[in-house]
This record gives sequence, C-alpha cells and structure tokens, in this order.
Amino acid sequence: MLDTWNHLLSGFATAGTPINLMWAFVGCALGTAIGVLPGLGPAVTVAMLLPITAQVEPTASMIFFAGIYYGAMYGGSTTSILLNTPGETGTMVTALEGFKMAKNGRAGSALATAAIGSFVAGTLATILVTLFAPVVAEFAVKLGPPEYFCMMLLAFITVSAVLGQSTVRGLTALFIGLALGLIGMDQISGQVRYTAGIPEFMDGIETVLIAVGLFAVSEVLYNALYEGKSSADMNRLTRAQMTPTEWRRSWPAWLRGTAIGFPFGTIPAGGSEIPTFLSYATEKKLSKHKEEFGTTGAIEGVAGPEAANNAAVTATLVPLLTLGIPTSVTAAILLSALQNYGIQAGPQLFQTSSGLVWALIASLYIGNVMLLVLNLPLVGLWVKLLKIPKPQLYAGILIFATVGVYGMRQSSFDLFIMYGFGLLGTLMRRYDFPVAPVIVGMILGPLAEAQMRNALSIGEGHWSVFWDRPMSFSLLAVVVICLVLPPVWTAIQKRRNAT
Amino acid sequence: MGGTSTNECATSIWVPRDPDFFESPNAMSEHSASKTSSQTSTQIGIALLGLVLSFLMMWGATGISSEAGYAGVGPNFLPWVVAMFLAACSAWLLWESLTGGYRHMPEASGAESADWHAFAWVSAGVLANAALINVAGFVLSCALCFVLAVRGLRVSQGDAAGNLSQTLKDCVLGFLIAAPVFWLFTMFLSINLPNLTGTPWL
Repeated sequence: MLDTWNHLLSGFATAGTPINLMWAFVGCALGTAIGVLPGLGPAVTVAMLLPITAQVEPTASMIFFAGIYYGAMYGGSTTSILLNTPGETGTMVTALEGFKMAKNGRAGSALATAAIGSFVAGTLATILVTLFAPVVAEFAVKLGPPEYFCMMLLAFITVSAVLGQSTVRGLTALFIGLALGLIGMDQISGQVRYTAGIPEFMDGIETVLIAVGLFAVSEVLYNALYEGKSSADMNRLTRAQMTPTEWRRSWPAWLRGTAIGFPFGTIPAGGSEIPTFLSYATEKKLSKHKEEFGTTGAIEGVAGPEAANNAAVTATLVPLLTLGIPTSVTAAILLSALQNYGIQAGPQLFQTSSGLVWALIASLYIGNVMLLVLNLPLVGLWVKLLKIPKPQLYAGILIFATVGVYGMRQSSFDLFIMYGFGLLGTLMRRYDFPVAPVIVGMILGPLAEAQMRNALSIGEGHWSVFWDRPMSFSLLAVVVICLVLPPVWTAIQKRRNAT
Repeated sequence: MGGTSTNECATSIWVPRDPDFFESPNAMSEHSASKTSSQTSTQIGIALLGLVLSFLMMWGATGISSEAGYAGVGPNFLPWVVAMFLAACSAWLLWESLTGGYRHMPEASGAESADWHAFAWVSAGVLANAALINVAGFVLSCALCFVLAVRGLRVSQGDAAGNLSQTLKDCVLGFLIAAPVFWLFTMFLSINLPNLTGTPWL
C-alpha cells in the first residue's frame, strides 16, 4: 500500500515535468478535437501518430497517446449531444437522451453532466487502476503461457463472435486479421511467412497502415460513395451548467455508471459499448422520471452512460499494462506503440518499466483535470470545429493519413497498400463486417501464437497442457460458454415466442 | 468511427438476435428482391474472395517449414488453422448469400446506390499521392491529393464540382494544410518525409 503511494508520487514527479505536462495537454486537446470531429477516432489518431515513437521517448509518447484516448471520449459526447452523430462508438448511447435534451433547449445541462460525469468516473477509475493494477500484476506473474494463450483466445472470441450481429462475419474478420498477423517473420523460429518475396513485408505489415486504411481512408471513401447526401442538423449550444436538481439527479448515475463501466473495461468484452448500454438500461429502470426517457431527454440517461464509458476506457489500462492484453482497438494500438519501443507489456512491466507505468497513471489524474477545463468553459471552442465543411475535413484527413503511413517506413508502396485497405474497409462497412477483430487479430495474433507454442513446449507437445491446469481450464470453459450461449439463448427465446 | 452498426452490436448480447435466425431464407421480404440483386452478387463475391484467399493461404502453408522442436507444432501450424477456418467462414457466407443473403444485416448507412463519380475523384487523389510523393515531395503531392479528394466529396454532396477559381482556392487550402503538417513533423518530430527542393521548407 505504502509502496503504491511512493510509486504514485514518483509518477507524479515524472508526469509533472513541464515537457510531460505539455504532452499530456496536447494529447488531451487533440483527443477532444478528434472526438468532436466525425470521421476520426482515437484508435486511428494514435495509429497515425505511431511514427513519433521513433523520436519521442516512451513515457512522453504514452502520456500523449493516453491523453488522446480518453480526450476523445470527452469530445465524442459533445458531438453526440449537439449533432446526434456520435463521434465515438462509446458515446452512442449519449446521443439517445443527450440529443433530445439539446433539442429541448437543455444542451448546456447535457454537456455539463457529460463532462463532469466523465471527470468523476475517470478519476474514480484511475484510483481503482492505481489500487488494483499492481495487485493484478503480482498475480499475473504466476500465470504461464497456457493461461495467457487462453486469455488471448477469450479476447479473440469476445471481440469477434460475441459482439456484433453475426458470428460468422465477426469470425471472418478475425481470421483476416490473424492472416495479416502471419505475414513476416515468425517470432519463434524466424521462419519467413507469406511475404510473396516482397522485402517490405519481411517485418510484417505495419499496424498504422492497416488501422489508417481500414478506418480513415475507408471513412473518406465510404462518405464519397454513400453519404454525400446525408446531413445533420445541429442543436443550439447553451451555457454548460446544471441546476441543483440536475446535480441531484446526476451524481448517483455517475457512481452507478462508474461501477458498471470499470469491470467491463478490465475484461476482454470489446470496449465501452456494452457498459454504456447496460448503464442506460439501469438508469431507465431506476429513474423516477421515466416519462422523460426518449421524449424530452432524461439527464440520468446522459450521466450514467458517460460515466460508464470513461470508467471502461480507463479500466482497459489494467489488462493492457498488467497482462499485455488489449480489450479495445485503441488499447491494441497502444500495445503496438509499446512494441515499437521494444517494451513487452505484461506483469514484468511493473518492475522493468515501473517509471513509465506510474508516470502514465499519474498523468491520467492530471489529464482528467485538464479535460474538465477544456470541456466545460471552453466547449464553445470545440463546437466551432463542427462548422468545418465535410469535403474539406475529409480531404484533410487524407493528408494526415499520409503522414502516418509514409512517416512510419518512408515507403510509397505502403500508400498503395493503404488504399487497398481503404477499399477493404469500405466493403466491410457496407456489408456489416466488424473492423475491430481485424485489428485485434493482427496485433494479438503473433503474441497468441508465441504463447501457444511456448505452452506446447512446456507440455512437451501435448495439447492437454491447456486443460490440465485449473486456471487455463476455467478460461477455456468461459471461451466455450461465450461461443455456445448466444445461439442457445436465441433458440430458447424463439421457442418461447413460438408458444 | 467504426460505423453505426455498433449500436445494434452492443444490444445484441442483451436483446437476443432476430428470431428468424434459424428460419428458412424464404422469410426474406419480397419487396426488396429487385434492389438486392446487385447486393447478393456482391455478397457472393465477398464469400468467393474469402475462399480464394484461404486456398492461397493453404498453398502458401505447404511451403512453410514444419520444424516443430519441443512444441510439436511448427511455424506452419497457425497458417493452416487460419486458412481452414477462413475457408469454413467463407463457405458459410457463400451458403448464406446463395440462400437469401447474409443474415442479420442492419440497414447500411447512407444512400442505396453508390456514387462512383465521387469515388473516382477521391481514389485518384489517394493514388496520385502514392505515385507522386517521392517525386513531387510531401507538400505538393498532398496538396494535389487534397484538391482531387475535395472535388470528389463536393460532387458526392450534389454540389458543383468547382470552377477554376474554386480549384485554385482548394490548391491554396491544400497547401496551407500540408505545409505546416510537413514542417511540424519534419522539424519538431524529426520524421522523414520527402521534400522537393532539398530544403526542410518544401
């Protein structure tokens, strides 16, 4: 306990240096901006900025990237409330009630409860990370390759088969991601696979290339192809403040949202969508003002999901830092940033890179304060970003995409591949293939393969190593449940409906 | 980001999937039959593409060493597994597309028909950039990309593509975005981006 406190204080000392404060601030501001803007998300923004890992030292860039990650969650709610087009997937639920509130002239209250709720949840979640991450890391040291492999398997299954409309489309996306991860040199034997003799493929395909192609370029292409005629009306902005009644109605929702969001962020359940929906359902059930839901807009319906969203986002750092397992797309890209530095995320991280970890955690506290200031008094500034006309905005995104992709390896060949992934992303979006499994599969795939082969080496080639150990057996059981339960559940429901 | 389908994605866990999951494909409504014919062929195309890819992977996997060591599985193990599963998923998708289309498709966002004219302009922008960046340098190449893409996106909105003076304005704007980005990344972050004149300015 005292140990944690000392580490945290030294973390504050590192994060509080002017240069690191500057990185945190730029990250938070940039995150808010891209959260507000449609078309760019935190994952692709961090991906585009991966080339800076070649120059900037790891602590500063992780502080910067983390600032972008949770800054985007603050900014995303602004767009949801004013425009009804969620800037981020995690703020989708906010749009349900927030947009209705804004329509009825209460945009300011909605923005205030979103920003303050994000701050409360973000700070509470950071405290929980501070307390739990070292404990988890200590426990995780005892886990062997079989357990790690099963946990990664679980992450694959939840991100592809459980989330989403169709299991088969999710799995297809996952295997495409795994196939992409195979390209290049095998980690264990050094054997070269699927490079087709192209030297550029020897080190594998860069994460930035795939993320930028699948998210940014495909977004621009999809807009040109299908969404040119879609338009959205913007609600009028009012002063971001709350009445005492609204405070009274908001704070229990914030706390409940945090309690729902945090656990979901720590397990591989695909990020913040489920907890936000769960929190929304909870608030709707508990509210004394049920008539406001879906009509004039209920403030609990904004406060709860916003808190859940930020708590979940912060909590993704626990499995990322302690186990090296990303539970969201952005976390996967953060993992790839660490890999660029040759830093192995996992339980040893708390010993080998303890300075980095604690500075990162301390910067979360600081960043949340910065974001509260950036998003409450200054919200009008960000709203101006929404006035950028769509053609110029999306064409501008292409310039940034070029920086990220070209800057990584100085290869124009990569820009052609990026366009290819843009086409793939457009097709996937049109035919409802989820994109997250591709990214997670590609980044986590090679790590999972290494753990699997190490595990089999321990078991001297016997597959029973995966179910002889109690921990890995339990994890396997959860994987099976995740695969079997949804279809069975559907069948039961169907039978019930039929009778 | 990530598409609007996530809305339904997240609820699908708590609100179980459509009851027509196991129903016969005839349940597909008839009125949409005409508009979906091109969709169906694309769906078949995607499934076939997946199959081809998986067969290519299997063919590639035959050339990968199976040297296993203590593990009992070598570097060719995962390629085979991935290829097999990808083939299975593609076959399943093919079956779905032949028997009434992919299941549980949410309404795709945006217009029903594609605007290929706009798409061509944007694609030209990205590809021209890829082709020219080493020759013309980052700033000019990206400015050109911006001009072409902005034109396409304007077309897609149903606006006029822009006359000469509009195009000139686009050029200036593209330059004004690309140049500071170039300076920021090359001077402050020391990231190598190609220049035209051999100076750090252009």
